[in-house]
Amino acid sequence: MAMKRRDFLKVSVGASGGLVVSLALPGCAGIQTGYQPETGEWRPDAWLELTPNDEVFFTLARVEMGQGTYTGLTTLIAEELEIKPERITPRFAPVAPEYRNPLYKLQLTGGSTSVATSWEPLRMAGAEARLMLVMAAARVWNLEAAECHASEGRVLHPNGIDSMAYGKLVELAAKEVVRGDIALKPREQWKYIGKQQGRLDARAKSTGTAVYGIDVELPDMVYGVIARSPRHGGRVAGFNGDEVRAMTGVLEVFETERGVAVVADKYWRARKAQEALNVGWDFSEALSVSTDDVFESYRTAADEDPGESERSEGSFERAVEGAERVLEAEYVQPYLAHATLEPMNATAWYRGDRMEVWAPTQAPDLGRIAVARVTDLGPDDVTINTTFLGGGFGRRLTQDYIEEAAAVAYRLRRPVKVIWSREEDTRHDLYRPAMLHRMRASLSGGELTGWHHQIVGPQILDWYVRNAAPAQYPWAPRFMYDTLGKVGLMAEGIATPKDMSAIEGGIEYPYQVDNIDIRHTHTDPGVPVTWWRSVGYSHNGFAVETFMDELAHESGEDPYQFRRRLVSSEPRHLEVLDRAAHLANWTAPAPQGRARGIALFRSFGTYVAQVVEAGIENGAIRVYKVACAVDCGQVVNPRIVEDQIEGGILFGLTAALYGEITLESGRVQQSNFHDYQLMRQYERPDVLVAIVDSTEAPTGVGEPGVPPVIPALGNALFALTGKRQRSLPLTADA
Amino acid sequence: MALRLTVNGVQHSLDVEGDTPLLWVIRDELGLKGTKFGCGAGLCGACTVHLNGQPVRSCSTPVEMAAGGQVQTIEGLGGGDQLHALQQAWIEQGVPQCGYCQSGQIMSAAHLLASNPAPSRDDIVAAMTGNLCRCGTYSRILAAVESVAAGSSNSQEV
Ligand code: FES
Ligand code: FES
Repeated sequence: MAMKRRDFLKVSVGASGGLVVSLALPGCAGIQTGYQPETGEWRPDAWLELTPNDEVFFTLARVEMGQGTYTGLTTLIAEELEIKPERITPRFAPVAPEYRNPLYKLQLTGGSTSVATSWEPLRMAGAEARLMLVMAAARVWNLEAAECHASEGRVLHPNGIDSMAYGKLVELAAKEVVRGDIALKPREQWKYIGKQQGRLDARAKSTGTAVYGIDVELPDMVYGVIARSPRHGGRVAGFNGDEVRAMTGVLEVFETERGVAVVADKYWRARKAQEALNVGWDFSEALSVSTDDVFESYRTAADEDPGESERSEGSFERAVEGAERVLEAEYVQPYLAHATLEPMNATAWYRGDRMEVWAPTQAPDLGRIAVARVTDLGPDDVTINTTFLGGGFGRRLTQDYIEEAAAVAYRLRRPVKVIWSREEDTRHDLYRPAMLHRMRASLSGGELTGWHHQIVGPQILDWYVRNAAPAQYPWAPRFMYDTLGKVGLMAEGIATPKDMSAIEGGIEYPYQVDNIDIRHTHTDPGVPVTWWRSVGYSHNGFAVETFMDELAHESGEDPYQFRRRLVSSEPRHLEVLDRAAHLANWTAPAPQGRARGIALFRSFGTYVAQVVEAGIENGAIRVYKVACAVDCGQVVNPRIVEDQIEGGILFGLTAALYGEITLESGRVQQSNFHDYQLMRQYERPDVLVAIVDSTEAPTGVGEPGVPPVIPALGNALFALTGKRQRSLPLTADA
Repeated sequence: MALRLTVNGVQHSLDVEGDTPLLWVIRDELGLKGTKFGCGAGLCGACTVHLNGQPVRSCSTPVEMAAGGQVQTIEGLGGGDQLHALQQAWIEQGVPQCGYCQSGQIMSAAHLLASNPAPSRDDIVAAMTGNLCRCGTYSRILAAVESVAAGSSNSQEV
């Protein structure tokens, strides 16, 4: 894709006298850039700023939650700017149209899209700045620009002796005009892309100096906690406010939309006051389901409604008629919490006509909407400062925690930090939806002839529109937000024109079969849900790749060879499958007491195959090894790819072994890490990651490691015990 | 209640309720934000500090139990501008992802090495098992600790 530079780059002189490159992403033509022509000033929402003091600032429009954008996106700039990535200081972006994710039309970080959407534009911004610096130096030396070149933050004179630092050149460079298109460096000349190893934020994160949301400190700040309804949708009927208000340090006790807020001068005093708080709840409109009811309702829905057809090829019914054997299976997967290690929190300060918020958020422009919803302010009166995120995994795309903090700050008119306890974070999460999958397949003469997949469960956008749509229509009055959510979304499309959250990974079924029927039965039991690392792929991966294993077994074929045969015309699938099998030594028998399982799954454009080697020790499942092959196109930082894939594998294994949120009459049963367990160091399997060397455009790596490991483990346990587990989490005594 | 606490070598006299967890005293009274809150129940290790040379979960340690004691946090681990060898290794290995658990991880590892300079892999795993990492950085943590442990080929570099 050749991009015309003039489409999206704007260059200007900064307030510091430096060079500022602003960039408008494709599709946002005509929006404002960093340069203010009237004043000649620079707004701090430019992407790249070079100062006369030789500093380089890069505005990071995708948040850093562990997935490595801080390093990865900076590397893209550095490569073309010809400067070491370590010399660039990233800073977190404020809310501005320039920083929207072009895929979503929202400023959010998710869907493993950061590198993919920044790949061209950021290199282009770096290249333009470099070119201008070279032109300026050439002018000083009275040379042609082509005779000079840039390296390590300096422009070099062809005499091999003279050179000038970028800082010395920025004022001159800002006046240069680049004409025509800019050629990006060919792959062979890359110094950092594909080679950069370290993480630019490692030092701050190893010394305790990285500032997360929970670390924000403001003058005269006070602390808020909120007692929320134990059942979603419950309302406050009454509470012993006077009693609690009299406690040491307590400043305010009042009802908010979501419960009763207690504000005190110190966090611990607020917590103690909350313990003394007695709230009577009105549960008349509250959630009342139990987990069993949810699955029963799914089964009823599945029986009554075959669902919307999402992919149809040939005729599954005819395939069944002529089939020698028809296999059926039902897979059940529970609600899952995000459990970011940094609990939800936000700090807000209301000063009469403005609200300023500091928060670890994946979607700062939606944070502004959240504030507007609970105050008289408009989104433009709200400033969101994004901090480092102590994990995101999709949880921080929903801005409820900002909304709450804003409501408290609005009342207090002074800086307030609202911190959730771990128990609150677990119980008031929005979960990965519980899902039910009904699979059928027909086999004839050893061949797979038909594939039927009925996906049963909710869609995430139903829960999200209320938050997201107004961010696209900031002019809209607040009362319209709900309607706008529904109507606007249809018209414009937010994540995609269609909500893929339930079906993604199901409809891309990659195996060769003539008759395919894939459907979604939409049913929503009212439990709040949202994106969770790898979203729909997380549950479709388990259903598809477990059922494939069942079919291989039924056909009497090796599960690797069975898959291999059926993706033989898909080269990228085939390559990762072969590499993972090879890495795991698939054909050699597993050590005594262990067995292997395999799975192949593409998500977010990235191809992943995994082989899990597992056993059962002292009555518990033990995962010894995971061999993984990944094709994510061009690699920007190999270490980060490995880390993200390994992190995804551990995230998936945690779900496979422990992950389960259950409800009892509308109440979430789990609360903290004793009953919502995460994998620990002693359970860590050896993870081997092979990365396919590719020149394809880069795709994401934050999520694709998650889906295949869950079925691969289940398949290994089947190979070990001969018993098929069709619901998660997996158990040792099935 | 007034009590004395020495944190990273500096003596403080504090007026706080005795049942306040040490964690919130360190973070909010003393402004040392490197120590993190993860669970408040001794389950995750994000709040690990050293009290009189022993690793403790500061979220579950009432400050009165630490009164008169010596506390060391991530901020006091290195000497002044010097990084602790483990911090150096953490940076070299690129351990942190979101980074939120890492102060606690490093404090647990630092105690391990102080009490057992040449731990076996099993020793390391046992010492680090109380520290959760949601991002899954366990193998990098292991490699970083091993690189610093006495007898490892890299240990003389630091
Ligand atoms: S916060 Fe102390 S152990 Fe989790
Ligand atoms: S690095 Fe994120 S929790 Fe450990």
